[in-house]
Amino acid sequence: MSEPSKIVKTIASIIFPFTMVFGIYVILHGHLTPGGGFQGGAIVASGIVLLLVAFGSAEIAKRVKESHLSILESIGALSFISLALLGLSTTFFYNFLAGSNFIFGRIPPFGSNPGDMNTGGVLPLMNISVGLKVIAGLSAIVLVLSLFARSRKQRKR
Amino acid sequence: MPFQEIINIVLPLMIVASAVIVVALKDLLAAAIALAVMSLLLSLEFYMLHAPDVAIAEAGVGACLTTAILIFAIKATRRMEDGR
Amino acid sequence: MNKIAILMVFIIFSCALISTILTLRPFGEPKSTEMDDYIIKNAQNETGSNNAVTSVVFDYRGFDTLGEATVLFTAVAGVLLVLRRNAHE
Repeated sequence: MSEPSKIVKTIASIIFPFTMVFGIYVILHGHLTPGGGFQGGAIVASGIVLLLVAFGSAEIAKRVKESHLSILESIGALSFISLALLGLSTTFFYNFLAGSNFIFGRIPPFGSNPGDMNTGGVLPLMNISVGLKVIAGLSAIVLVLSLFARSRKQRKR
Repeated sequence: MPFQEIINIVLPLMIVASAVIVVALKDLLAAAIALAVMSLLLSLEFYMLHAPDVAIAEAGVGACLTTAILIFAIKATRRMEDGR
Repeated sequence: MNKIAILMVFIIFSCALISTILTLRPFGEPKSTEMDDYIIKNAQNETGSNNAVTSVVFDYRGFDTLGEATVLFTAVAGVLLVLRRNAHE
C-alpha cells in the first residue's frame, strides 16, 4: 500500500481538533448528558488513531512513546481505585462528595432541569480518571500494533 | 406509516445486508470498510432504541478503532483473499 | 461434504435462535420493577447527578465498572507484553 495522499492528510489535520474537543466534552459532561468516561475516551482515541492512519506510525512514534501512555493508564486506574477507597468510611464506592458544599458538591433539583457542572460528587472525577485510562489504553494498543505491522513489513522486504 | 417505524424496519435490513457484503467481498480492505459501515448502522439502531450511551461507545470503538486495527493487520499481510 | 456440514450447523443454529425469538416478551415489558422506581426517584438526590445512567454505572454498580477497568488494563498489558519487543527491532 502506498503513502496516503495530501487530501487525506489535510482533512485529518482539520478534523483532529474537533474530535478532541468533542471527546473531552463528552468526558467532562458525563454526569449531565449521555456518555461518560469510556465513550469520551473512545472518541479521543479514535482521533489519535485517525492521525496514526493518515500520517503513518513513524511520524507519531517520534512524539508519543507507548511507555508514557502505559504510565498514564496506570495513573488513571490508580486514581479510580483510590477515589473508590476514599468513601470506605461508609462503603466501597460511596459518593462522599455529594451534598457537601465542596467541589462538585451541589444537589440538583428533582426532575428535569437545565443542569449544572458543579454537581455529581465523585462522579465527574471518576469520569475523568476512567477517560484518561481509556484514552491511554486504546491509543497504546493501536500504536504498538501499527509499529509491529511496520517492522514486520520492513523485515519481509 | 410514521417515519420512526419505517426506520425501525429499514435499519435492521441494511445491517444484515452490510454483514452479508462483509462475508462476500474478496478484497479485505473493502470488507473492513463494510464492517465499519455495519457498525455505524448498528450505532444508529441503538440510538433509535433510546440507548445513546451504547450508541456513542459503538460508534467510537466499532466504527473507528476496529477498522484501524484491521487496516494495520491488512498492511502487514496480504490485501486480497486467495481462492485457496 | 464440507458444505453439507456447514449447512447443517447453520440450520441447527438458526433453529435455536428462532425458537428463542418466539419465547421473547413483547418490546418494553416488564414495564416497572422496584429497582427502576428506586433509582428514578432517588438517583438525583443521592448522587447529585442528572444522568441516571452515570450514577448507576459509577455509584450504585461501581464494582462492575471496576471489573471493566480491570479487563481493559489486562488487554493493554497483554498487547504491550507480546508486541512491544518486536516493535523496536
